[in-house]
Amino acid sequence: MLGYLTRRLALAVVTVLVAVLISFLLVHATDGSPGAIVLGPGATPAEIAAKNAELGWDRPLVTQFLDYLGHLLRGDLGTSIIDSRDIGADLAARLPVTGFIALFATVLSGLVGVFLGVTAAVRGGRFGTFITSSSGVALSLPVFWVGILIVYVLSIQLGWLPATGYVDFADSPIDWAKGLLLPVLALTVGGAAIVARTANAGMRDALQAEHIRTLRAVGTPAWRIRYVHALRSTSVPVISVLGIQFIALFGGSVIIENLFALPGLGQASQAAVSSHDFPALIGVVIVATVVVVLTNLLLDLVVAALDPKVRTA
Amino acid sequence: MSVLPLDAADDASTQVAPPSSRRRLLPAALRRPGPLLAVGWLLLVVLLSFTAPLWRPYEVNDQDLANRLSLPSGAHWLGTDPLGRDLLSRIFTAGAEPLLAAAVTVAVAFGIGIPLALIAAERGRRVEQVISRCTEMLMALPSTIILLAVIGVIGVRTYVVMAVLGVLISAAVYRIMLGVAQSVRQRLYVDAARVNGLGSLRVNTVHVLPAMATVIAVQAAQLFGIAILINAGLAFLGFGPAEPVPSWGIMIQDASGHVYDAPWLMVPTGVVLALTVVAANVLADALAGKVAHVTAPARSRRPAPVRVADAAPADPAAVLEVRHLTVSVDDGPQLVSDVSFTVAPGRVLGLVGESGCGKTMTARSLLGLLPDGVSVSGGQVLWQGRDLAGLTEKQANGVRGREIAMISQEPMVALDPMFSIAYQLIGPIRRFRGVGRFEARQIAAQLLRQVGIVDADRVLKSHPHQLSGGMAQRVCIALALTGEPQLLIADEPTTALDVTVQAEILSLLRALVRDTGLSVVVVSHDLGVVADICDDVVVMYAGQVVESGRTAPVLDDAAHPYTMALLGANPHVPDGAPMPTRLASIAGTVPAPGSWPTGCRFAGRCQFTQAECTVPFPALPAHGDGTVLCTRVHEVHDAGVSWHAERAGAELPPAAGARHAAEPTPTAGASR
Ligand code: SF4
Repeated sequence: MLGYLTRRLALAVVTVLVAVLISFLLVHATDGSPGAIVLGPGATPAEIAAKNAELGWDRPLVTQFLDYLGHLLRGDLGTSIIDSRDIGADLAARLPVTGFIALFATVLSGLVGVFLGVTAAVRGGRFGTFITSSSGVALSLPVFWVGILIVYVLSIQLGWLPATGYVDFADSPIDWAKGLLLPVLALTVGGAAIVARTANAGMRDALQAEHIRTLRAVGTPAWRIRYVHALRSTSVPVISVLGIQFIALFGGSVIIENLFALPGLGQASQAAVSSHDFPALIGVVIVATVVVVLTNLLLDLVVAALDPKVRTA
Repeated sequence: MSVLPLDAADDASTQVAPPSSRRRLLPAALRRPGPLLAVGWLLLVVLLSFTAPLWRPYEVNDQDLANRLSLPSGAHWLGTDPLGRDLLSRIFTAGAEPLLAAAVTVAVAFGIGIPLALIAAERGRRVEQVISRCTEMLMALPSTIILLAVIGVIGVRTYVVMAVLGVLISAAVYRIMLGVAQSVRQRLYVDAARVNGLGSLRVNTVHVLPAMATVIAVQAAQLFGIAILINAGLAFLGFGPAEPVPSWGIMIQDASGHVYDAPWLMVPTGVVLALTVVAANVLADALAGKVAHVTAPARSRRPAPVRVADAAPADPAAVLEVRHLTVSVDDGPQLVSDVSFTVAPGRVLGLVGESGCGKTMTARSLLGLLPDGVSVSGGQVLWQGRDLAGLTEKQANGVRGREIAMISQEPMVALDPMFSIAYQLIGPIRRFRGVGRFEARQIAAQLLRQVGIVDADRVLKSHPHQLSGGMAQRVCIALALTGEPQLLIADEPTTALDVTVQAEILSLLRALVRDTGLSVVVVSHDLGVVADICDDVVVMYAGQVVESGRTAPVLDDAAHPYTMALLGANPHVPDGAPMPTRLASIAGTVPAPGSWPTGCRFAGRCQFTQAECTVPFPALPAHGDGTVLCTRVHEVHDAGVSWHAERAGAELPPAAGARHAAEPTPTAGASR
């Protein structure tokens, strides 16, 4: 168990380093020139070179990388070449927006998906077929299109919720929650579908397992077989898929934040991409990698707690 | 963008089929309406998209300013956008790029993933470890954000970006393909090919790759859908073709701005995009054969059994009396026909026969634990005056464990791997004996000691995977004893165990019978087990009882040719000599349910078949209170002929057996 965790932890650290290296090389090894971007198309080559030197981009690559790593270890992600804002502080302010959307969407996907998938497996028949095939459709829908549909139905036709408008939690927790509701719902459609499929398949396999017959042979009540024993073995694949979902939703936030005008990480990365703000790009990659790696670690812990084979290894 | 995880490698998609030599236009998996429609739609979209310049009614930038944001009309079949441009023309003109871009992603992902998997599977553990660690790292990177960073640096170069996506996804492809490649490599035919001196490349292209074809097709279809979604998502964010070039993402972005005044705008593009991805996924599911098991068995609704009128009072000396039991597949053939036997208190009855003889079905029907779609269609299972075959599921559940318990053949998978032994024992103990948690734990430890487990406390704390097979079987027996049953059904209790452990388990069963007065029904194909612990034996063949009686006379002086054949070369085992541990091989196979001949079902394989054997006949008394189901028993058995054993160890192919049966058979008088 301890060896297993140590190995996962080492892999996590290496992954973050690799992400730093990849994004650093991506930005520096190509012909990217921050001077040209900052000064715009009217600048002369001499002015651009001077600007690059001022930003430290004329130094050897290794020096720059070590320098960057040094700052990174102190939690400094550098400043934007576009508007000189502190990238670390900016991303830290945006992280909760994206984090909460992804978290709420994952939790909701888990609840709805497990309910549908398990019910479909237990009831079987037409209902089961309906759930499995409609979740097959739901997980194929583009999230931005689902978002628009939800806005159309819930806000415009039914007039239930504001379509856009993010309110800070500190200003009004209720409006904050309202603002997140539509984006979360949009992300949940596909998320719940994937979870439903996993839960359904897991539950079917579990109910056909040999040990279920042993349980029946000692007269275990049906609810106990389903909701204690079968559900417990289904929980491992479901938890894994929820972890993958959280990561995917975190990445998917770029689109949903664009659609609903939310000031999250996704919006920052879209802006960094459009304006070729290289330090901000590297910063976004690093933050996202750390989130992914931490999620995976947490996932390993949860799976280890759930699966005695891992726990006692 | 919603990155769908490629389905984990644990489902049907990883099942490997050996390469099939026949090729059909459409695999069977696709010849159903859903997949057919999906293939049709994909072909249509591809065709319309790539030929759009030839047929589109308007140029993509023709503006019909009088008809801006119009609904579908004769002039504009799908309506127009905010600048009055024709949606139909724009949607399909825009289609070529995502389709090609997705193809690039798929090609790159597989172009990297498959060779890596083949190399890892071929070069052994060290190489596999290195590649796997690297791909694990690649998979842990946030692919969406990296993709965006790439765009931020190199700009909007769709095909390059989609190729990078392919690289990122190749790690997942590798993971899935590695599992497949490894299992293919374990197949004999790959080894054989290598022995025949085929080079590595040829082994891979001739044998391994074709066997992976289905999995590749499934994953490719799935990945194609994902790539289209990502491509459209990037365009939606403005990282696609720039206006005025149409793209699905931008058109939906446009629609999002007009959701108040022109909601129709989001429909045509969204539907075409969604349908294309849905079609790719339907195709993937169909190829993976998932749709097949979507039609899950509903809750089994048992047809009301047709009862044989049998009002005879229950035998007072019997614990269990099975009368004329018939088990059938619902709306299908019989699996067990007209089986009768009784079990007396404190006695052990063996059900023997080759596999496919219906002995396990018979045993399972005693507890109402038949598989879905199989049920008791006639006869009675009399247990203490009640007919178990007529009980509802709920009533039967009251009998299970409390009165009749069961242990199964695979102890290693018979316990729930997720729970500790203590949990699995304490639950039933509390339910059966109405005691508290603490007391239940003590009873559990006591039961474990009763089944010969010395360190009961340690075993209670362990999980099933920490136990050996023999230990797990002891725990299963302890579990069966939690309800203090009077009858134990043991389905091949020792088959999966080592020989030395088998003997221990058998002596444990014997001791339990002696100490507790338990009755046992043992299902076995092992005559050694039967000779060892059974008082009575029931020999089954093709769903029928062919011979029954006390163990000693049946084994020493078999009356039915099938029993003789089972005993093989040692028809008369002298006292003290070991019984043959496995059934002697008999030429031919048990006929499948539904194809049983009228008359004697063994006629096809019997050495004594005559014309009279093909008409129905009743069972005759034998071995005191036993029976024998052979119309020629007097000529065969009483005249003292014995089964002519096949050459020892040489198993004849079925064809030879069939020929054998057609040969003129010896009469009883012809001494052999
Ligand atoms: S002798 Fe005839 S009735 Fe007897 S077992 Fe053989 S085929 Fe069947």
